[in-house]
Amino acid sequence: MIYWGGNPAECHPRHFTKYSLMQKGKFTPNGRKDRTMVLVDIRETPSAKAADLFLQIRPGKDFEMLSALRAIVKGQRVNEETVAETGLTVAQLQDLAAQMKAARFGIIFFGMGLSMTRGKHMNSAQILMLAAEMNAFTKFVAMPMRGHGNVTGADVVMRYTTGYPFGVNLCRGYPRFNPGEFSTVDLLVRGDNDACLVLGADPGATMPQPAIDHLARIPTITLDPKVTHTSRLSRVHITTAVTGISAPGTAYRMDEIPLPLRPALKSPYPTDEEVVRRIRQAVARRPAWLPGRNGKAAI
Amino acid sequence: MTLTIVKNATCTFCGCVCDDIELHADGVRIVETKRACSLGESWFKNHTAEHLYPDALIDGHPATVDDAVEAAADYLLNADMPLVYGMSNITCEAQREAVSLAELIGGVIDSHTSL
Repeated sequence: MIYWGGNPAECHPRHFTKYSLMQKGKFTPNGRKDRTMVLVDIRETPSAKAADLFLQIRPGKDFEMLSALRAIVKGQRVNEETVAETGLTVAQLQDLAAQMKAARFGIIFFGMGLSMTRGKHMNSAQILMLAAEMNAFTKFVAMPMRGHGNVTGADVVMRYTTGYPFGVNLCRGYPRFNPGEFSTVDLLVRGDNDACLVLGADPGATMPQPAIDHLARIPTITLDPKVTHTSRLSRVHITTAVTGISAPGTAYRMDEIPLPLRPALKSPYPTDEEVVRRIRQAVARRPAWLPGRNGKAAI
Repeated sequence: MTLTIVKNATCTFCGCVCDDIELHADGVRIVETKRACSLGESWFKNHTAEHLYPDALIDGHPATVDDAVEAAADYLLNADMPLVYGMSNITCEAQREAVSLAELIGGVIDSHTSL
């Protein structure tokens, strides 16, 4: 069990006890004792206490370390000096590869420390390749550690409606997928969009400044249970009920198990579902959008 | 006041989506969160059923939801490349509506996954 670039002890407090490390299973009757946990991170977080092996790598060297690890797993030669740049030695990587191969069922949980640092999408691709290649030796999977409640649901819903999990461009009337080109931060930093609908997110507080500046320039519409930083730079804000607390529905757990929500409160505000449906109906009542109608070429 | 007890409630604060929480609510706020972690407890206790914010804002001024919906529809339809973003703290049912809307307005749809 490998945690890479994540700190579950602080960010997902029940991950160890409820899902991953401590639970007893058919092939792991002794729970924690039957498992080996490795933590890969750039600093020793509280999660390191739970780990059998902690590997501290240099910031921004995830891709290099993953490349070296993939080569070692496949029995290829690696350059010692290149590996040393990651902050680890070839012997440490060989030991990790041996432990991974010796596992009956391995999993890599990767966090935003991997997917949001230098390399970004390429790091995620590399770790998924590693997990895929490990299947030549033993059963191995990889799973992202999801930060927000139903971000997995967004992946699942977009997958079964458009065929792609995120960053889907429907401008041409059919879905196109290209992370880095159609992903939000890149679009906003380049200034490609001329309107934005923000659903239960606060990019005004979390995104890079050029992206926030662009959101303030264009008509932004925000649906949120609170008046957020994004609401303040939006032309339109609509207050909605809180998902799972006062709005019913379905949410996906990070292992793609759909779970029903059981709200405990009744909100004075409409749900996101209702508001988005009403916006869609209001758009449908208007004449259709045509490319080039404003004198601009189709994107 | 009698407390409403919701058993096996689902917490949507983080991606773990723990579904074994017992909530005690007094109609306005949640007063007890059994089995929730520290993050889940603050998530449940920080959201109330009070009417703290205006229903809607247009250009920073309070407005009705009806007007806000119409204004949103105008902005989104008139855009050449609108973006629908977020989707991580809303239900799957709302996400389906969002995909349908994105298709109708010919836009880009993206979630926190791309960050």
